[in-house]
Amino acid sequence: MDAIATNKQLNNDEIFDLMKQFITEVIGEEFVEEMDITPQSSFTKDLEMDSIEIVSFSEKIKTHFGEQIDFTGWLSAMDLDQLINLNLEMIINYIHECQLSR
Amino acid sequence: MSRFLFVVPPFFGHISPTLSIGSSLIARGHQVKWIGITPLAAKHIPEGGEFIYPEAELAEHQEEIDRILKRQDDGPACSGPEVMKLALEETYVPFAKIMMKGLGNYVDEWKPAVIINDCITFAGALCAHIKGIPSVTTTPVPPDVIGDTQTSAPKIFEWQQQLIKGLQQELGIYEDDIFIHSHKLNLVFTSQVFAGFTEVPPHMKFVGPVKGRPNHAAFDWERLAAAKTPKVFVSLGTLLVDIRAAFFQKLIDAFADQPVTIIAATNPDIFDVWPDNFIVNSFVPQTELMPHMDAVICHGGFNTVNDTFTNGLPMLITPIAYDHFHTAKLIVNAGCGISIRYKRLKIAELKSAVFELLENPQYRNAALKIKETFIASGGNDKAVQLLEDFAEAEQLVEKNN
Repeated sequence: MDAIATNKQLNNDEIFDLMKQFITEVIGEEFVEEMDITPQSSFTKDLEMDSIEIVSFSEKIKTHFGEQIDFTGWLSAMDLDQLINLNLEMIINYIHECQLSR
Repeated sequence: MSRFLFVVPPFFGHISPTLSIGSSLIARGHQVKWIGITPLAAKHIPEGGEFIYPEAELAEHQEEIDRILKRQDDGPACSGPEVMKLALEETYVPFAKIMMKGLGNYVDEWKPAVIINDCITFAGALCAHIKGIPSVTTTPVPPDVIGDTQTSAPKIFEWQQQLIKGLQQELGIYEDDIFIHSHKLNLVFTSQVFAGFTEVPPHMKFVGPVKGRPNHAAFDWERLAAAKTPKVFVSLGTLLVDIRAAFFQKLIDAFADQPVTIIAATNPDIFDVWPDNFIVNSFVPQTELMPHMDAVICHGGFNTVNDTFTNGLPMLITPIAYDHFHTAKLIVNAGCGISIRYKRLKIAELKSAVFELLENPQYRNAALKIKETFIASGGNDKAVQLLEDFAEAEQLVEKNN
């Protein structure tokens, strides 16, 4: 669906909606409906993403944004507490910054 | 004949394979004892063996031990990185510190020729290192569960190293190496093929599943024989107490009145009434039961995984926490089962997965291939041979020094 890397710069709301769409694709609509996804939602605690789900979420980001965003590299540089506290807002800000620094 | 001391954690899944090899070692005339942090019921100990519970030295730590054990109930609700913290920082390292005194005293008294530590029971290998006693490690789960953190997550690798080196320094070990596992012999109770290893360090020996631990659980064999529909064994293991009722409610919703017989290992008290096609017992003779089954549902506890593929049965694995996800990945890679994460488990999907396993022979055929790799790994005989050769070689080294 998102096979072509897009060059359009997204604002934070648009990035949030896109992340929400990716999460829905990864964990299934049925489970997303039970959650109230906000920028403050923690990735591992609130969304209960496991490693396999995080990998497929990362792949969606890669397919959509292409080389301009190294999400996996960004994640792998984190320590345990950063991973535990990782929330959607941090991801949105990271994508936003990558777009600006292009 | 040699003296072997197993150092075990308070988790039955990790103790279980040591009871099986211990039983074989005793049959060969060796002296075998176990030492742990909580008592173990006598019925589990092979005849001729002894379980040491150093009560006096543990007394001052009792509150902490209870708190850590209670904390394990939080595991299923924790995220991956939180579980890593819970396991290493809040469980394995403190348990190692707590065990050292009682273990050290007992080792001085009994003078084992070999100390065999379970992979999460660091005190065994550390005590052996400090006292210059040869040590072996037992690993009941496929190793490399966390993956190569050194390259994929350097900060997490550093955190692991610091925790372990901190523990070692506290115990007076100032060398730069890591000594929580044996560098000479590590017995792994699965096959190299199933664990997905192409290259193996020389000290790591995949011996496959081991069996023979005492299990005197009674079972209503007549009722099982009367069941005419396909038989599905369900186990949640010995941990995970809090989610037991929710898990089995899903099974009831999926399989009550379906043409299957569910044989469940859980306390029947969690529900007043069970459907007629459910045979439920707190304790079951799992090894004897398994050959009568057609499929297995479990969360990924490794002894059940081993019993399943030893019998060439297909599995539905519903990983919950800890190393379950890694095991689920191996099962999917081998093609011998289906994985549905427990937190994303829907009734309709649960039902269709089980009937797919029963009706599509590809899963059973893949399971039979894993069975062959298990048998080829050698089991008890291989484990005993490796331990005897190791003890003999180490005693020679000692004589020559």
